[in-house]
Amino acid sequence: MPLIEADDVAVTFQPANRAPVTALDGLDLRVNRGEFVSLVGPSGCGKSTFLNIVLGLLRPDVGEVRVEGRPITGPSGDRAMVFQEFGLLPWRTVEGNVELGLELRGVASADRQRRAHELIQLVGLTGFERHYPHELSGGMKQRVGLARALATNPQILLMDEPFAALDAQTRDLMQAELLQIWETSRQTVIFVTHSIEEAAYLSDRVVVLSARPGRHKAEIPVRLPRPRDYEMRLSPEFNELKAAIWNALKKELGAIS
Amino acid sequence: MGSRRLVLGGLSVIAFALSWELLLSTVVRWDPFFITKPSLIAQAVREQILGGHLWRDMAVSAQAFVVGFVMAILVGIPVGAVMGWRRRAEYALDPLMTALYASPLIALAPLLIITAGVGIAAKALLVFLLAVFPFIFNTFAGVRCTDPLLVSVVRSFGGTERDLYTKVILPGVVPYLVAASRLAIGRGLVGILVGEFYAASEGIGFAISRFGDTYRLPEMFTGILVLAVVAVALTSVVRRLEAVVAPWRAGQRDR
Repeated sequence: MPLIEADDVAVTFQPANRAPVTALDGLDLRVNRGEFVSLVGPSGCGKSTFLNIVLGLLRPDVGEVRVEGRPITGPSGDRAMVFQEFGLLPWRTVEGNVELGLELRGVASADRQRRAHELIQLVGLTGFERHYPHELSGGMKQRVGLARALATNPQILLMDEPFAALDAQTRDLMQAELLQIWETSRQTVIFVTHSIEEAAYLSDRVVVLSARPGRHKAEIPVRLPRPRDYEMRLSPEFNELKAAIWNALKKELGAIS
Repeated sequence: MGSRRLVLGGLSVIAFALSWELLLSTVVRWDPFFITKPSLIAQAVREQILGGHLWRDMAVSAQAFVVGFVMAILVGIPVGAVMGWRRRAEYALDPLMTALYASPLIALAPLLIITAGVGIAAKALLVFLLAVFPFIFNTFAGVRCTDPLLVSVVRSFGGTERDLYTKVILPGVVPYLVAASRLAIGRGLVGILVGEFYAASEGIGFAISRFGDTYRLPEMFTGILVLAVVAVALTSVVRRLEAVVAPWRAGQRDR
């Protein structure tokens, strides 16, 4: 049985004084345990909306999403999100931010500190424990975001364009480090991105969503061996893969712009 | 940078006092009945500090001020927070609060003294009435500026409504409270003064009014000077306090 099953999910937003927007309509998706799946699609196709449903912050209007066969009813310790704009509490240090999830889940202070320390080390921020977010670069902030999400040891890691706010080089570096961390932990990951290259490099499978309202449009398996390294991105296979994703995506992009 | 600021600021105060002094000692023929000059005030300050009622008056005024101010904080922050977070509370309270904030509540001083008597209660109430609104409205504004992303973050980890208040909403309000305190200090001091002008038997406001009535201008100015010093001191304490309670703001606002 797949770990995550989404059946016929539809969400319609009703902004004040404007026409309703259907963000998702009839989305089906299966994600297996330990799989790294990327969602790509035109802006506004409901990728982030879907992550929020899996996270438990949003209920679909139609359909349902199940984890291990049980419908999602709200946030839970087995799922955590890394947010595009980091979402760090400005009044907490690196340490305090990494501990946030544990604290909200009622973990005792000493255990929290030990766990936070491990995670800070894992993401390479040792020495910055007492720094506030405004003292960190974008890449470091997202390391904190990643450490915070991993600290609660979720079996599902949701990543909402986590590297979109970073410059190109930092982004390449963060992708490599994410892979390195993931190789050892092997969480199930749903990764939303606008970057075809990023999706191809990181994932086991790339799912292309259609223009709004988003539904499952195409699926491209990624058969590159792991562990992956940067040089792979220069290979002909990698370019073919990108071309395949692009072909599935371009019609959808044309549909809105 | 800090020392240059201090020197220049001090120079302007000294220049002001000197020109006042010189104007009255050389240029203008003056009648000590109607006006006084810094040298006489300095003398009065010294006498008051050494012997007069100054300390006693300050203690009396400070007591009412502190009681009223603390009440303003304790009431203002929760009211502002609920108004900011709960749309229905905002709709219900906003017109009333805005009307009260805008109106010269100082006009209520005689009523409060009739109701609560000539003592600390009436004065503290007056300070409270004047100081509570900056806390309400600044907390309200701060809560309104709560980053929805941080709310999602806390909710996604299973945070409750209470967690949202303690970990996101209230910490975000702290800088707004510093601004509120500065406004509230000024308004609160006015409250004390007016309360003591109207009906009191001691306190700084009473001293100013009594010395004024008896044409003892240097002594009267002593009270005014004390208030000015207290206002400046309280404001700078608040500024220091911000660095302690909101250290994350230290690097964001380099001045």
